[in-house]
Order: sequence, then C-alpha cells, then structure tokens
Amino acid sequence: MSGVAVAEKPAEPAKVVTADERIAHRGPIQRLLVSPEIGAIIGAVLVWAFFWGNGRTFGTAATTLIVLDAAAPLGIMAVVVALLMIGGEFDLSSGVMTGATGIMVGLMVKYFMRTGAPMWMAVGAAFIVAGAIGFFNGSLVNRTGLPSFIVTLATFFVLKGVTLVLAKRLEHKVSVSGVDTAKGYKGFYRFFAYDYKPNNFTGRDVVFLSLVLLGGALLITGLLEQSFIRRSALNTKFVPVGTVGVVAAGLGFAMLHRTDGVANNALWGIVAAVGVVVAVVALATSRYQPRTDQAGASAARSVPTTVRMLVIGGVVSVALASLAPLVLKRNERREILRWFPSSVRVVVGVVAALTGVAIAMRHMWPRTRERFQWYRPVQTLLYAACVGLLLLAGSLALFQLTTVQALRAIAMMALSALGLSMLLRARAAAGRVSVTLQLAVGAVAVVAIVALAFVVRNDSGAVRFRSGLFAAMLIGATALTANTLLETRLQKRREMHERADRLGRRLVAGGAALVVIGLMIRVVFTNVSNVKPGANQAFSVTRMSILWWIIVTLVGAFVLTKTKWGNWIFAVGGNKEAARAIGVPAAKVKTALFVTVSLVGCFVGVMVLLRFTSVQASQGDGSEFLYIIAAVVGGNLLTGGYGSVVGASVGALIIAMSDNGIGSANWNSDGRFAFKGAVLLIAVLVNNYTRKKAQEAR
Amino acid sequence: MPDKILELQHISKFFGNVTALEDISTSVEAGKVTCVLGDNGAGKSTLIKILSGVHRPSTGQCLIDDSPVEFSSPRDARAVGIATVFQDLALAPLLSVWRNFFMGSEPKKGLGPIRWMDSAFARKTAKEEMFKMGIDVRDIDQPVGTLSGGERQSVAIARAVYFGARVLILDEPTSALGVRQSGVVLKYIRAAAERGLGVIFITHNPSHAYPVGDRFLLLNRGKSLGDFAKSEIEITELTRLMSGGAELEALQHELSKGR
Repeated sequence: MSGVAVAEKPAEPAKVVTADERIAHRGPIQRLLVSPEIGAIIGAVLVWAFFWGNGRTFGTAATTLIVLDAAAPLGIMAVVVALLMIGGEFDLSSGVMTGATGIMVGLMVKYFMRTGAPMWMAVGAAFIVAGAIGFFNGSLVNRTGLPSFIVTLATFFVLKGVTLVLAKRLEHKVSVSGVDTAKGYKGFYRFFAYDYKPNNFTGRDVVFLSLVLLGGALLITGLLEQSFIRRSALNTKFVPVGTVGVVAAGLGFAMLHRTDGVANNALWGIVAAVGVVVAVVALATSRYQPRTDQAGASAARSVPTTVRMLVIGGVVSVALASLAPLVLKRNERREILRWFPSSVRVVVGVVAALTGVAIAMRHMWPRTRERFQWYRPVQTLLYAACVGLLLLAGSLALFQLTTVQALRAIAMMALSALGLSMLLRARAAAGRVSVTLQLAVGAVAVVAIVALAFVVRNDSGAVRFRSGLFAAMLIGATALTANTLLETRLQKRREMHERADRLGRRLVAGGAALVVIGLMIRVVFTNVSNVKPGANQAFSVTRMSILWWIIVTLVGAFVLTKTKWGNWIFAVGGNKEAARAIGVPAAKVKTALFVTVSLVGCFVGVMVLLRFTSVQASQGDGSEFLYIIAAVVGGNLLTGGYGSVVGASVGALIIAMSDNGIGSANWNSDGRFAFKGAVLLIAVLVNNYTRKKAQEAR
Repeated sequence: MPDKILELQHISKFFGNVTALEDISTSVEAGKVTCVLGDNGAGKSTLIKILSGVHRPSTGQCLIDDSPVEFSSPRDARAVGIATVFQDLALAPLLSVWRNFFMGSEPKKGLGPIRWMDSAFARKTAKEEMFKMGIDVRDIDQPVGTLSGGERQSVAIARAVYFGARVLILDEPTSALGVRQSGVVLKYIRAAAERGLGVIFITHNPSHAYPVGDRFLLLNRGKSLGDFAKSEIEITELTRLMSGGAELEALQHELSKGR
C-alpha cells in the first residue's frame, strides 16, 4: 500500500506525525459531491426531466438542437465570464460587447469596404478594438482599485451609446444587415456558423452503444476501485462466471436495442440486468478482498427494532403507493372539494388560520427578558395575521384546486419516495448487524422498486415519461442488487489510498466522459425527419456554434485546472494580496482575463452576425446578467476564488432549456423570467449547502 | 565557530523625525532560532520589513554569509534565501493545499509550446514536504481554509522551506492561536531549524520564545534591551525584561520611598 510507503520515507528530524484519527475516509460519492459543478449537472438533468415530462415537444431531436443552438453563444460567454469571476471580477460590458462588435463589423463591411477590401480586415479591426476595451477595463480596475462593477458598467453604457449613434447615423436604423455580400464572407461563415448535415446514420448506433457501455463499465470500475481493497493476487475462480456475465450483458443490450415489442424487451432487459449484476459481482469478488469484519462473520439472531420498523413502514408505504392508482382514478378532474360538506371546509379553514396565528405568536411574542419595545406587539400581530391568512388561503386552495388526479400523483410520488427511502435506510442499518439481514432487506428493497416500476408502467399517461421512468427504476434496481451483493461480500476501504483513489477518479471521469460523448453523438447526429414526422421545416443537424461552445469549454477547463494560469486565477480571486506577495503577477492576470472576456465577446458577436447576416444594436443587451447567472448556477462563487468552467457551461444549458421548455409546455412565456430567477435562487442555495457539507465532511 | 547566515550590525531606521529602530545588532545561525521579543510598538514590524526588503535601513548594514548586502525589493531578499511568513499567511483559503503550496511557482511539463501544470508532481511534493514538517495531510486536495490555524502556518512554513529559503522569518505565528495550536507551531519552528534553516521568530510571548529560541533579541521602543544567547538568560529574566521590568522596578522603588 502506498499509504504506508509514505511513512517509510528516510527518517527526517523532528518527526511529529499528527495523523488525525478523526478524519474520516471520504467515499467516491462524497468526493463527487464536493466538486463545484455537480449542482449544475444534477440541476440540468432535473430541469430536462421536468420539461421532458411536461412539454409536448421538449426532448425531441429537433428541440434539443434548438436548445443547444441557443445555449452555444451563452455558454461560450459563460465560460470566460466564469473565469473572470473566479479571478474575483465582473464584466458588465460583456453582453453589449457581443452586439457592439457585430455592428462594428457590419458597418465596416458596408461602408469602408466597398472598394473590395477583404472581410478579415473588418473582423480583425473589431477584435483589436475589443481587446483594447478589455485592456482598458482591466488596467483601470488594477490602477484605481475601483470595483469592476462600476468600471465595466461605465464601459457598458459608453459602448451602447457609441454603437447606437453610429448605427443610426450611418444606417438610419438600429440594425445592420447585408454582411453576406462582403468579400470572403463564405470562409468566415464556414469557420463561425456552418451547418453540418450528415446523411448517414448507420454507424451512429454502434458508436453510441459501445461508447455508453464502455463508459459505464469504466465508471463502475472506478467506483469499485475507490471503495474496496484490492487483493494481492487475482482470485481466478470467479473470472469465468464474470466473463459469462459480461457476454450476457453485451448480448442483452445489443438485442434490447435491435428488437421491439413488450415480450422481447422484457426478455432481453432481464438478460442484460442479470448479466450486469453477475459480471460486476463476480469480477469485483475476484479483484477485491472479501469481507472479514464482525458484522460479516456473525449472523445476529434477532432483528433490531429500528430495522424491523423501517422495513414495515417502507413496505406499507410502497404498497399504498401501488394501490393509490386503483382507488383514485386518473383523468378524474373532479375537485376533492366535492367530497366534503361545506361545514368541514369552514372548520379546516379556521383551524388552519388559528394554527398560523399560534405559530406566529410563539415565534414572535416578546421574551420576558427582553426590553419592551413598542413595535414588537404590532410586529407580532402583523406577522400572525400574515401567516394565518397564508395558511387559510393555502388550505382553501388545496380544497379548491386539488383534483383527484393531482392528489393521486402527489400520493404516489410522496408515498413511494417515503417507502423507498425507509427501505434504503433499513438496508444500511441492517448492514451494520449481519450479512444475511442486509441481503434480505436489500432483496425487499429491490422487489419494491421493481413493483413500483411496473405500477408506473401500467399507469396510463405521458408515454415518454412513463417508459423513461420505468427504465430508470429498473436500472436503479439492478444497481441496488449489485451494490447489496458487493457490500455483503467485500471489505469496504476505510482509509485513503493515494494510488487507488487516483486511478478510481480517473476511471470515473473517463467513464462519465465516454457516456456523455456517446449520448451527445446520439443526440447531435439525429435524423431529424425520422423523429418528427410531418415536420418539414428545414433546419440544421448541427452547427459550428455548438462545436465552438464545446471547444471553448474544454480549453477553459484545461486552462483553469491544468495550467499555471488557472492556478493564478484561483489565487488572485481567492486572496489577491497573498497571491501578489508570493509572486503571482496579479495585475497581469486580471488584465488578461478582462481582455479574454472582451475578445471572446467579439468572437460571439461575429458568430451571431454571420449566422443571421444581420445584427441588432440591442443584441446582447442584458445578457451580461445571464452570463453571470449561468456562472453562478454552475457553482462559481460571486466573491471569486472558487468555481468551475464546466459548471458555467452547464448553467448556460439550463437557462437555454428553461427558455425553450416553458414555450414547449405552453406556459406563459413571460414566466420564463420568474423561472430563471427561481432556478438561480435554488442553484445558489444548493451550491451553498453542498459546499458547506463538503467542507464539514473533511 | 558557528556559521552565521545573517547578521545585523548597528541597524537604525528613521521615519522623518521618528526613530523606529536604533542601533540593533543580532545574528542568525544555520539550524538555530533567533527570537525577537518586544511589546507593541517596539519596532518588531520595522525590523521584519528591513529584513524582508520592504524598507532599507537608515544606517547600519545586513551581512549575508559575512558579506554586506542591500535589498531594494522583497524580490532581492527572496533571491538570497530570506523567506518571510507574514501574519496573514499569504494563503488562499478556498484553494487546495497543493495549489497553495505551489502558488506562483507552479511546476510545469508539456509538449513543445503547450505547457501545463505537473499536478501529480505538485500533489506528491506538497504531501511529502508537509510530512517532513510533521503533518500528515490525508487529503492534499482539501481547501486550506479547512485546516486548523497551526496547520495553515505549517503550510506557509513548508512552502518557504521547499522553495530554498535559508532564513525563515516568522511574524507572530502564534499570536492568533490557542494554547495547543501554538505548541504545534513551535514544533514546526523547531523542525524547520533542525532541517538547517536559520529562523527568526518574532513574538511578544516569552513563554513561546524561550523553549524554541537559541538567541533572544529584546526590543523596547526601538531600542535593544540586549541580545542574549540562551545560556546567558533565564525565562524569568526574559519575562521581567519583556514586561518592562527595569522601569517597573524603578516605579516600585519610587512609590515605596514616597510612603
């Protein structure tokens, strides 16, 4: 073990090892939760699932591409804005920069290049101007020490004013168009905004399936590597069984993909799931040490009360959740209100209001020790009235609005969530007692999940949502089975192990990347006309802008995490004085960041201009806040020194998804602002919470 | 003959008509700890700033390896191997231990013009160097802000040692710490000295200074109250001098006479 190898270093003087036994080993999941972008990734999945379930068109290939296309400029800017934010500064001129540079190029092309000068001169000039503005912002912030908020706000207004004046003077309107007549337009178009339209999809599924399976295998291996202790030598006894499992799983997935129909899907689904479980458990058993601790050796005679209570509670909840659809009919839009006579409603309303008043009084009534202040009783009464009214209104609304259908959905979700969490808790508690008990409780939990999956499956409604949930629950049941078997057979690692942890981390990261790339290939190379029959509008299959978004994100992530510049950005944002004292060129780093933001703003401006061949002067107005929101949603700290570029990119995706999804769900499209605000607030709260948790756990 | 790394000869510093330091002489030997003791306003900070190249002395000179030197910037002082760990530590609390350790001097590797940070080397080295200071950082990726005060001091000290410091100046490293943490830091100071560095330990607490110090320079209102080797002075005497002992005695004497 290399953990020990460190201790065997040549003896140094004054060895005062303070190995702290209070530091707990952090498991792979906990490690994952520490990373700043995790909140954004989970959020993106949730927002996607939400609109996927609610929207009519959301999630089809067509809308996915529209969303990605809208997210691209936002994402590119969010990446650089996040870098600047980690470096401790803001750039409010970043939004207007994209419009101003577009106008600039458009005007130059129209008015200064009639003589046939090539387009690159205009684009080059725009980049030089943008760079100069960035340099100005950076130097001013560095020289004066003024908050960048103020400095860049000034730049923002100046830029906006100049752009409007120029556009109105020269064009007599607030937009510039006709860029496509410029010399050299084609080349720029190809570089910035080309649409790529493949017409061959046969190889796609092979690539997609093999990437996802390989990625999944690597991911599982990585998690195992981080959780268990390796044997000194491979135990070959289980390898043949494992190989059979791998073959079965591969066959199952391949056939699942090729065949159709309920019977076939069920057959191959079971083959795949059993194959995965057998392969994972057998191969892990041959590679990692068997369990030796007390709970594994002895089988306790009696079942602890907590476990028993949790299992009973869980099973009852799951059973009720399964029965709910039988009692409460779907499609019954009748209000529950009708069930109750009006006297009951009045009583409930009064009780609710009184409860509200009581809660408020309890919280706000002046304590005896406090000095009497005249406003306290008034404050208390107002507060009590508010809470009381709120509860009254809430309870009445519940009666008024709740239909049987809604009650049914809520009951099913709440009861199954409650039941499953109880069962999982019981499983964890049983694991501390004996192996057989853990296996038994684990089996109950798996059966419960499968049962619920079938309940969901038989429930009519949104087809996509239902089948997706069904598949996800079955995958969950498979994972839980494998996990229970592994935990009862293998010894869990309690302490850090440098090499295994690093290997595990790399495997997890690589596996996740492969899965994501596979899914992306599946999404991007979609034969649109097949997916959405009847839709004959022509649109692109993929755009250069999406490619640029991915490139910028990858480059940004590389620079931030793998280069000295990244370290300097963190340092400058984290503790500027410290960074300077230790020899980091703080001013240079900040100026470079401002220049980068401006240059990339220019890049996006030109991209949008080429895409539409015209640009509005108001383009990008107010977007600077969207960039900042994307960065914050992505886990970047407003105060600097902490954050992630990938997170910012995912944050941009969330914003684009909510814009599109609200339209798709047929909601009032003005509500998207409120939705974005809510997303921002939730994201910040979640990030705050996870960061605190992460630091507590150390 | 002990080898003196750094020697101060008759250093004085005037700010306008204020005398911050007057005729201060002391020395630092390799592997030894020189403590600079003094109450608030005694001139400790001015002395550090002179040593670390922030200020230049008005009169007197600094000798490094017996040859006079003049620093015009902190960079010069660092170049000859004088590293200063200031009270605010020069650490970024949200950054991981290894990123802090190599902040500003990142190890690089790469292919041709594309160069990136050798994070594996940085992680390994930071962990090893911390271990040499006697701290087993379990997780080198944890933010420095989650370390205790004493451990944070040791990150700063280990960093200075690793980057080739010969003389380590510690500005009140124990002033913000509790009793136990102070003890931990004192151990690190001893560990640094035993690795062959000359340490200048600035403090106003004689009971912190006495156990680790080999030489004691006492300052009061910019003047030296004496520069003692450990064999020449007891802790009681040190404490008496520190608490303005002589003045206190005179005061007591006067008071008793008047009665």
